[in-house]
Amino acid sequence: MKLINYLILRITLIFTVIMLLWSGIYLLLQMREINSGNDEGLINLKQEFVHKANNTKGFIENMENEQPLNIRVREMTFAEAEQIVETFNTTKVYFPTEHEEEEVRMLASAFFCTQNDKYYEIRFFTSTVETDDLVKNILYLTLGLWIVLIITLIVVSKFIISRTNKPFYKLLSELKRFRLDNSKNIVLPETEIAEYAQLNNAVSELISKNINIFTEQKEFIENCSHELQTPLAVAIAKLELLIEKYRNDQTHIEELSELIGILNRMKRLNSSLLFLSKIKNNQFADMQNVNLNEEMQKTLDELAEFIEYRQIDIAFDSRQTIEKEMNADLAHVLFTNLLKNAIIHNEHGGKMGIVFSQNRITIANTGTAEIKDIFTRYHKAKIGINSTGLGLSIVKSIAELYKINIQYRFENNSHIFILIL
Amino acid sequence: MFHFKKIEMKILIVEDEITLLQAMEEFFLSEKYVVEKAADYETACEKALIYDYDCILLDINLPDGNGLQLLEKLKKENKDANVIIISARNSLDDKIQGLNSGADDYLTKPFHLAELYARIKAVFRRKQQEGQQYTMFGNTKIDFFNRQAIVNEQVLSLNRKEFDILSFFVNNSNKLITKEVLTEYVWGDNIDMADNFDFVYSQVKNLRKKLKDSNSNIIIENVYGIGYKLTVN
Repeated sequence: MKLINYLILRITLIFTVIMLLWSGIYLLLQMREINSGNDEGLINLKQEFVHKANNTKGFIENMENEQPLNIRVREMTFAEAEQIVETFNTTKVYFPTEHEEEEVRMLASAFFCTQNDKYYEIRFFTSTVETDDLVKNILYLTLGLWIVLIITLIVVSKFIISRTNKPFYKLLSELKRFRLDNSKNIVLPETEIAEYAQLNNAVSELISKNINIFTEQKEFIENCSHELQTPLAVAIAKLELLIEKYRNDQTHIEELSELIGILNRMKRLNSSLLFLSKIKNNQFADMQNVNLNEEMQKTLDELAEFIEYRQIDIAFDSRQTIEKEMNADLAHVLFTNLLKNAIIHNEHGGKMGIVFSQNRITIANTGTAEIKDIFTRYHKAKIGINSTGLGLSIVKSIAELYKINIQYRFENNSHIFILIL
Repeated sequence: MFHFKKIEMKILIVEDEITLLQAMEEFFLSEKYVVEKAADYETACEKALIYDYDCILLDINLPDGNGLQLLEKLKKENKDANVIIISARNSLDDKIQGLNSGADDYLTKPFHLAELYARIKAVFRRKQQEGQQYTMFGNTKIDFFNRQAIVNEQVLSLNRKEFDILSFFVNNSNKLITKEVLTEYVWGDNIDMADNFDFVYSQVKNLRKKLKDSNSNIIIENVYGIGYKLTVN
């Protein structure tokens, strides 16, 4: 959920609760105010009525006979009168003139008329605001206010919050684009808001720290490479000069050649290990859209003589085109190592099948037995006495780098490698 | 022999690792090259800007400077020397930058002297013969541009690897080439193919047969079972 929507939703919920409470309280207060006004009027009316009844002869009998709309008079006994407590309440009364019941405020009371020494029950009505109408009105008003507030809120959010958050969103998009191996710090958005300025500083510091660490690591690898490669170069060159010097001495040459062989292996190990760490450090940043079908064909062409030598029958189903955003050199190394593996660990005159299907590349070759822990470093099959055992580790690292799922199976006397893209 | 070898070739080796510098010097002296040395950036600049060399072997990482800067200086001064960068840094950036700055080739340490020698010759061929990249070896014409070997006007049908091997031998004639070196040349750096001497052996065997069948007087000798040597009968 977007921040702005989240905010609007929360604020709307809180607003709804507050407005409901407010409406309720407003309704109560309003009703109390209206009633107390009405009640005062009713008391005045009663006092005036009692005063007239006590001072005017025949007034009460008149009233009793006429029964005006807003007054009810009934004679009663002392015992009844004693029970009556002066009360106000809101009730409904049927008015014959209007043929309907109406809500009224009523004062029920009793008094003793001094003119004829009788007890009377008296009720005074005054029409009042209909509670239903009032509630309705208040609800409509509240709803109106609520809608206006929400619209205002959305507009305000869109304009003010979006504008306020601009540096935040800019920072976010910069961070999304940021690549550690680019070794350039991000462009920080300008802001006057203290928190965002702090965020900028924190992010910038974190990034430059990471760039430093990354650069140091990269330099370490490069230095490591330099430091090892040069002595190796010296040793190999010196031995080669010695071979020239002892060109007629078979024993010497054999030993020297063996030494060069050992150094060569060391050199391959070193460069394979460096290659592995480079992949793991994501130092092949140069990405492009690679047509894997073409890359596979290219690799097959490069290995053509070797395939021919081992008399391997190749079936390449390239109907499904697969493209992948990746480093072209790594794509090449990936296929070279996989194909080389499928050639070396094949039988002489064996078969190799390559199938490109929907998001899937399958490479299968004939073989004799399943190989356990095939992707482990330095894992060596019996055949490759001289190999570094890093070929498939490199394959796995490249696959991991591009989130390609790689699986190995042994089925029907075939080694099967599946790349799921 | 190559006709350009009759002219004295003058090279400058820029390398801060003295032992490697000496080894390269010894090798090129034995090939009758005139060798000048520089073990640091200052000396290298001085020599490269004052004298003319047929080829400069340039290390990038020098104690007092970067080889790439020297390359740029040479370009600015319009010095037309062939430059081969020799670097322990196998980073692609350096390679691209080096080649963009006008280097003719880029070789990663550690390398075999035979490989370096072949590269130097390839660079010379590209520059000096301007397109006519062929050389006569005995009665055999090696056309590096079209990747063909021709005897008596007859083109030998060599596959890519066979031609690679032949050209490597031709560039290092009369020298012992061990199987290790040859295999690595055939397969390149990054590929862990060195466990396949058999393959290279079979390619050499085929090459030998094809040369013999076409009456070429090039002979690829077996040397004590550890390598080969190319000679002209």
